[in-house]
Amino acid sequence: MTNSIDEIRDTDMMFVIGSNTTEAHPIIAMEMKRARQRGAKLVVADPRKIWLAEMADLHLQLKPGTDVWLLSAMANVIISENLYDQAFIEKHTTDFDHVVEKVKSYTPEEAEKITGVPAEDIRTAARWYATTKHAGIYYTLGITEHTHGTDNVYCLANLVLMTGHLGVKSAGMNPLRGQNNVQGANDAGATPVYYPGYQKVTDVSVKSKFETAWGVGLSAHDGLNLNEMMKEMAKGNLKAVYVMGEDIVISEPNVTKVETGLNRCEFVVCQEIFHNETTRFADVILPGACFAEKDGVFTNSDRRIQRVRKAVDPPGKARPDWRILCDIARTSGYAMPNYLSTEEVFAEFASLTPQIKGISYQRLEATPAGLQWPCPDENHPGTPTLHLDGPMVGTAPFQAVDYRPSAELPDNDYPLVLSTGRTLYHYNSATQTRRDAGPATKQRGNFIEINLRDAKRLGIQHGNRVEVASRRGTICAEAWISPRVRVGCIWMPMHFAENRANLLTNDAGDSVTGTGEYKVCAVKVRAVEALPNAPANALLETR
Amino acid sequence: MNQSFQITLDGQTVTAHTGETVFDVAKREGVSIPSLCHDSRLEPAGACRVCLVEVAGQRRLQPGCAWVVTPDMQIETQTDRIQRHRTVLYNLYMADHEIDDAGLPVETGNENQLRKLCQSVPSMGLTPIQAPRSGRPLDDNPYIKFEPDLCILCARCTRYCDEVEAVNAITLANRGSETTIATAGQRSLMETTCELCGGCIDTCPTGALIEKKAPSNLVQLGEIESFRSTCNFCGVGCQLNLHVQNDRVVKVTSPPPGDTLNDGNLCIKGRFAYDFIHHQDRITEPLIRDKNGQLQPATWEQAIAATANGLNAVREKHGPDALGFISSSRCTGEENYLMQKLARAAFGTNNIHQCAAT
Repeated sequence: MTNSIDEIRDTDMMFVIGSNTTEAHPIIAMEMKRARQRGAKLVVADPRKIWLAEMADLHLQLKPGTDVWLLSAMANVIISENLYDQAFIEKHTTDFDHVVEKVKSYTPEEAEKITGVPAEDIRTAARWYATTKHAGIYYTLGITEHTHGTDNVYCLANLVLMTGHLGVKSAGMNPLRGQNNVQGANDAGATPVYYPGYQKVTDVSVKSKFETAWGVGLSAHDGLNLNEMMKEMAKGNLKAVYVMGEDIVISEPNVTKVETGLNRCEFVVCQEIFHNETTRFADVILPGACFAEKDGVFTNSDRRIQRVRKAVDPPGKARPDWRILCDIARTSGYAMPNYLSTEEVFAEFASLTPQIKGISYQRLEATPAGLQWPCPDENHPGTPTLHLDGPMVGTAPFQAVDYRPSAELPDNDYPLVLSTGRTLYHYNSATQTRRDAGPATKQRGNFIEINLRDAKRLGIQHGNRVEVASRRGTICAEAWISPRVRVGCIWMPMHFAENRANLLTNDAGDSVTGTGEYKVCAVKVRAVEALPNAPANALLETR
Repeated sequence: MNQSFQITLDGQTVTAHTGETVFDVAKREGVSIPSLCHDSRLEPAGACRVCLVEVAGQRRLQPGCAWVVTPDMQIETQTDRIQRHRTVLYNLYMADHEIDDAGLPVETGNENQLRKLCQSVPSMGLTPIQAPRSGRPLDDNPYIKFEPDLCILCARCTRYCDEVEAVNAITLANRGSETTIATAGQRSLMETTCELCGGCIDTCPTGALIEKKAPSNLVQLGEIESFRSTCNFCGVGCQLNLHVQNDRVVKVTSPPPGDTLNDGNLCIKGRFAYDFIHHQDRITEPLIRDKNGQLQPATWEQAIAATANGLNAVREKHGPDALGFISSSRCTGEENYLMQKLARAAFGTNNIHQCAAT
């Protein structure tokens, strides 16, 4: 996030796209509700009529995968109606003319044909966004989990830049991060192209800096991202994997291929707190510690580093993960230092990472609300809002992008579009939440949301057990007839190991990030039997 | 227009700003005014009447939480009249409240702020009211219990449910002495719009809303150990206090509103989904798969050696880029740092990633 979570309450307009915030980020949604109660405008762009859409001034219910059209049409309106911020563009950006040229053909009327969103609604959203000073964009995986995810992000960035919504409080460009420490994992260099602090592995001077720090020669070329690793594993080129704290056989797209790859591996290690689908393939299982059993830091969506503190001992012989990793490094022959505490690990990490160089455990003890990077030195107060004095690095280039359809579109054999996602009650592979009574009772198993019209056509009633099939796999789920989804679209959560949504999804990846296309793939649905105890609260109203 | 001006608070001249309440000014000046129904996250309700103050020129006492100050206003917070009012008020509350052997309002797992207030006034020995107020004894939700005899109807819970969580699952219902906190048709919370965030428990000042799975005597245990940490679910980064008894996490709460980014709020996962920590299914010892494909318990030395040897063997046979390291965005920053250092420094590959893209 360029801005901070607590700035949301003071915003005057929120453009929420591809984020089911009330379910995936409930506490950020509370800030949005607070802003809404204060009178802030809310525009939600989402193929589903999610709860935020119910409370929005405007819901742009686009067809899945047509975001580039919607956002380019908004840019078209802003440019053709002269609503852009000329001074900001001149001072802080380059290549605006490329975008001006590119979006000429993306008229709202044409966009209506592709996206299904009325042209007038696109105009209204664009006008509100461009003419409100404190207007923020909030997005998450609905934007990025496409083969054109990077293009979607470029389109959003173009809107932010042409309206000068950068470096303004309660505005900005705000990806809401999914996991507790996904920001921190990237910051720490758990990525194939960067050392800690986004320092390129292909940069010779960076490489020599880390070779000196770690006392060992390092690889000079980019590694494989997760999507590529899964593909190379299936081809038999990646021969061993060490998986810590992730159930890839649930969470990766097209998991049949992942299972094939794991079976072909010569050696698989899992470091986990519970047995899961992936540990079935492990040669060695190392019992780790959960967050309550170890010290450390998490970095949240607004770049805030906060402490995690050990409250209880790990069960049995389980050990904090950081200690296990150090032991393996040493036993493998690398002289990993004998860290006595996570504080020592953090100090080394911070010393090599310019963005967090000024942060220490000592400072975190004294600032209970955490410190937000960049925080380059020990007297720096941290940075709640990025780019307050213009882009932090040079000027920001606009990116002209063309719409590309999703990799797999519906056809006669697989006529429906499946999008997958998360619910409030479970968390990812749900090994934690399904072990608690509340979430487990609220949602016992997998389901699909399907529009009444599609359901009628397919002879499906609310609560029926249905079979959902794609070119990659078939699973069962309970059908929930719901006015939230568009005709021709179904939606399914990814949480349930016994009926894995990711047996269906497409592993075609974004060309830059490798992120799989979880939000669009072609499926067919048929009723297999009526469930005897279907819940009575059917949402039978259709729109 | 935000203007500054002077008012008189307990005889002292102090600065105030347009739109501020007596509470806002008093808090800044370090003047303590008791209250039960006030929560900084909610609109002032003036419901509990505990915070009444004297305002010069006003015939009646006025609620400090809701009374907006104006220039030259004179406010007294600790007069005999206020003290007389509080004595009667607290005794009335006690007459309509479950009382323990000490003659004070009962305290459950949560602190009962009314109990503390009642200790400050003499008992008037009023006859108990025995209000016919109904709870929801059959509510089978796993987390939240409502005890009507401990409720003072300040409506913090229903206002929180409306103003902050915005689900409106609970509401004030009925009239007079039958007034209670209810759901539509007294249904179980599981059959309402309730999302089980537990904010009602958190905001309740008297402990009438009780966390079902936490020990019922947490307050009486006194200084139970608590550890400040960060939630391990989504990317918001809510701050938590993990309450520990006998080396088990028995309750999770948020630090008070105001100090942290979650402002006292938590969701169902952060507040309640902690059973996994001590679940019997946790993996408690290292395991190595034997020749027959069965997982067998091993010592740490064996498991670490097996891991190092397995990875080294593949590296020697196929080169470092035949190895893949999948770190975890669920683990700490230090662990992610060490995992990428393990991949790069110990095994010579940049094949290191995590679930950022899933």
